[in-house]
Amino acid sequence: MSEVNKVSITIPSSSEFVGVVRLALSGIATRMNFSVEEIEDIKIAISEACTNAVQHAYPQEVGTIEITCLIHEDKLEIEVSDTGIGFHPQVLGSPEQKEKSEKKLGLGLGLTFIKNLMDDANVQSELGKGTTIRMAKRRPTDVLS
Amino acid sequence: MDNPFSIIIDKENLSPTIRIQGEVDIHTCPELNQKLNILISEGHKTLILNLEKVHYIDSTGLGIIAHAARNIQPDNGKLVLISSKPQIKKLIEMSGLKDKNIRLFETESSALESLVS
Repeated sequence: MSEVNKVSITIPSSSEFVGVVRLALSGIATRMNFSVEEIEDIKIAISEACTNAVQHAYPQEVGTIEITCLIHEDKLEIEVSDTGIGFHPQVLGSPEQKEKSEKKLGLGLGLTFIKNLMDDANVQSELGKGTTIRMAKRRPTDVLS
Repeated sequence: MDNPFSIIIDKENLSPTIRIQGEVDIHTCPELNQKLNILISEGHKTLILNLEKVHYIDSTGLGIIAHAARNIQPDNGKLVLISSKPQIKKLIEMSGLKDKNIRLFETESSALESLVS
């Protein structure tokens, strides 16, 4: 069985730390020999997931966001978790979500960007318990031994 | 940081040009939003946003651009974006922003030529 390396980062749910996570993921993706375009895709996807948590998870306080990266031989898996207020899955794509996004001057496209830019992506959320966004990008086949 | 976020507003041409440098994300976009709101409240009908020195933008930054485009639209206003970067062009396409009153050019000079013609 091939080795899997795990890198974990915990940040406060404050906007200034989203760039720190982006920089860390850029370093990991570079070491994995992803192309420049793929690294940009990963940076956007991780930022969208962290931004979602910063904006929505902890409306009354600063909480924490945990980012876990699993570096496989053939792919990079990323998990972004918070223990905030969570949401009902049916809210995704609803007029209510659109209204919330517009109030925050957003496009409501964060998850769409993640799904379009990564090879796999899914969201799990439970009211009162938090949200986890998982995503993965397959490693370029020409660098696999 | 070797490329900090900055916004320079150039009012030498008929339409103000907003030259943005650095990363446009959840942390920096409130400043961009504030500057765009001021320019729109001053009555400018066209704003040129030069993103050539922007090395990162996500849906938060594009949301601010969409919001500004909505605010300027009632006066038949428009936003002109300048970027030749494939990643930024890809996100603009993906977000459907070009369907609105937003136009994209690769250079500032081609945008200015189009505005006077």
